[in-house]
Amino acid sequence: MKIAVLSFDEDYVRLLAEMPGVEVVVAGPDDRVRAAADRLGVAHVDSWDEVFALRPRAVVVTSEVARRRDLVERAAGVGAQVLCEHPLAVGEADAQAMVDACAAAGVRLTVASPACFSPAFAVVRQGIADSGVGELLTVHGAFNSPGRSRGGALDDHAPYVLDLVDAVLGGEVADQVYAQANSIVSGQPGTESAAFVSVRYPSGVVAAIDCSWGPSVNQRAGDTPEMTFVGDQGSVEFTANPRLLGGFDRWEAKTDPRSVMLTEFVAAVAEGRAVGPDGAAGVRALRVVRAARESARTGRPVDL
Amino acid sequence: MGQVEVALIGAGLIARLHLDAWVLAGASVRVYSDDGRAEELAAEFGVRAVGSLGAALDGVDAVDICTPTGSHHQIAMAAIAAGVAVVCEKPLSASTAEAEEIVDAAERAGVPLYPAHDLRFSPPFARLHRLVASGGLGRGAVARFTVTGFHPRPWIGQVSARAGGILTDQMLHGVDLAHWIFGDVVRVHAYYQGDIATPAPAGTVGVGTAVLTHASGAISQIVSRWTAKQLPPIRVAFRVSGTGGTVDYDSEWPQEVRATGGAAEKFQYHGESPFVAEMREFAQAFAGGPEPRLGARDALAAVRLTQAAAESAWSGRAVELPVKGAA
Ligand SMILES: NC(=O)c1ccc[n+]([C@@H]2O[C@H](COP(=O)([O-])OP(=O)(O)OC[C@H]3O[C@@H](n4cnc5c(N)ncnc54)[C@H](O)[C@@H]3O)[C@@H](O)[C@H]2O)c1
Repeated sequence: MKIAVLSFDEDYVRLLAEMPGVEVVVAGPDDRVRAAADRLGVAHVDSWDEVFALRPRAVVVTSEVARRRDLVERAAGVGAQVLCEHPLAVGEADAQAMVDACAAAGVRLTVASPACFSPAFAVVRQGIADSGVGELLTVHGAFNSPGRSRGGALDDHAPYVLDLVDAVLGGEVADQVYAQANSIVSGQPGTESAAFVSVRYPSGVVAAIDCSWGPSVNQRAGDTPEMTFVGDQGSVEFTANPRLLGGFDRWEAKTDPRSVMLTEFVAAVAEGRAVGPDGAAGVRALRVVRAARESARTGRPVDL
Repeated sequence: MGQVEVALIGAGLIARLHLDAWVLAGASVRVYSDDGRAEELAAEFGVRAVGSLGAALDGVDAVDICTPTGSHHQIAMAAIAAGVAVVCEKPLSASTAEAEEIVDAAERAGVPLYPAHDLRFSPPFARLHRLVASGGLGRGAVARFTVTGFHPRPWIGQVSARAGGILTDQMLHGVDLAHWIFGDVVRVHAYYQGDIATPAPAGTVGVGTAVLTHASGAISQIVSRWTAKQLPPIRVAFRVSGTGGTVDYDSEWPQEVRATGGAAEKFQYHGESPFVAEMREFAQAFAGGPEPRLGARDALAAVRLTQAAAESAWSGRAVELPVKGAA
């Protein structure tokens, strides 16, 4: 199965290249990309035109946000299944256009939200659907992975927690969002390092989300959310990144949560089935994050 | 001053814990409750019971109010009028107006008033506060507290969001801790789930979710839960970050002793109860020692926050609080 990774992201390329039956192709005129492709033993072409001419079966979209719509539409145009990182786009209109383009082309737009692909999460979701905690009331989710230079805590962390909530609520559309944030730890105004988001859904469920940056060395604060689903009869906690070994950091090689996601994605593409959050979930997350940003700015809850 | 004399009012769940702590802290205690259970409780701890509030307050250094929240005001005002110092179970009141009246009266009469916010005496929280106050975490940025308990007491009664529910009761622990470490709060938003009948049936559930914005710019989140089952009886956890680092805590973490299978009850060790540390600190203050780690103003601040949370939950708005010292 030919899978294009656009643009070059070393972790994705390495994880996919290790999978049996997967042929990875990357693109870029840059010598650095060519050298990395050689080192990782994957195919390389100079341009996107050349990649799409190769008709990959799937495309993993990891480019800067502004180029994602173009890439997704072109992938859909050649009938490739798409795995795209959060956020799909800056604005909702672009994200919706991507969803529509994939629907029209008959391909699935899947959102790269690693914890949602975990088989353990499938059990949690099913258990909740089977009344394992009684009636679901509240979801408490924390995603405290270390701050990255990329962006603020709201954009970088909230969508992954929202996807888990969305999966359990079956795509219910939020009706109110409240958020507060600060940039005390980042020290850069505009790059929030701490953020809380409270989301209310029409069914009465409330999600209380902490998407603050975590410390850079903390084994327990893995790179995936830690969730508590609270029902009227009990609660269930979930993390896609449980602790394996205690000890010195240098010894504990954490499994990349994306490896489970990519394995599930590749299997789903091969078998022609759907797995993980779809583009519509990506749009819902985008809408909540934008409302959270507005709420953090105004200090008031935002109705959707 | 010799042995501190304390009048314990109430003979229920929390009264028993306080009584045990007062005895261990070396106080002389008399117990009064209106349900006829004072005799039995007093006998169990080798102290005496009395038959009226008047007899309880007569000649004591302090009253310790362990009755349902709705009766705190009346008992506190009677004690203050008699010049008796007050220790009061949390919350001082579910209403800000009542709490203000009690605090004003105590301050006017020069009577000490110490709210029993026991989590402040629990070692992980005391340590957290020391860490933040000493600057060990740098500039405080963000804190989250979760408190989960099997708790609804029969007397909690009408617990709609409008009446406060968990927000003006158990939520007090979380807002008090946030206020203790990060100071004044300028904005509160909360959701409340679980509209419960009166009297609250066993297995009642409720969840309060609050976000506090502090004057310093720091933010806190509190998730407060009443669970349907008594497992675990209570669980508290926090995670706090500043520019200097992050600390976290979960009461589920193994402590000194953990027994599995066998006769687990033979291996019970929980260290000193926070109530003992609390009553010892109060007793020392009554005996002329240093002021305790919290006082009347802390009780009032916490009640204001819980009431703001309740107001937010039923109005659907974020509640802005006046900043002290602002014009
Ligand atoms: N710190 C905590 O974690 C915690 C936990 C539980 C309760 N509390 C607080 O403790 C207080 C009492 O709760 P509880 O669970 O022990 O209640 P409870 O129902 O177990 O006991 C209440 C006792 O007060 C007595 N009483 C009621 N009104 C009285 C009056 N006017 N005069 C004399 N006695 C009176 C009752 O007869 C009973 O003995 C509440 O304010 C509650 O918020 C705090």
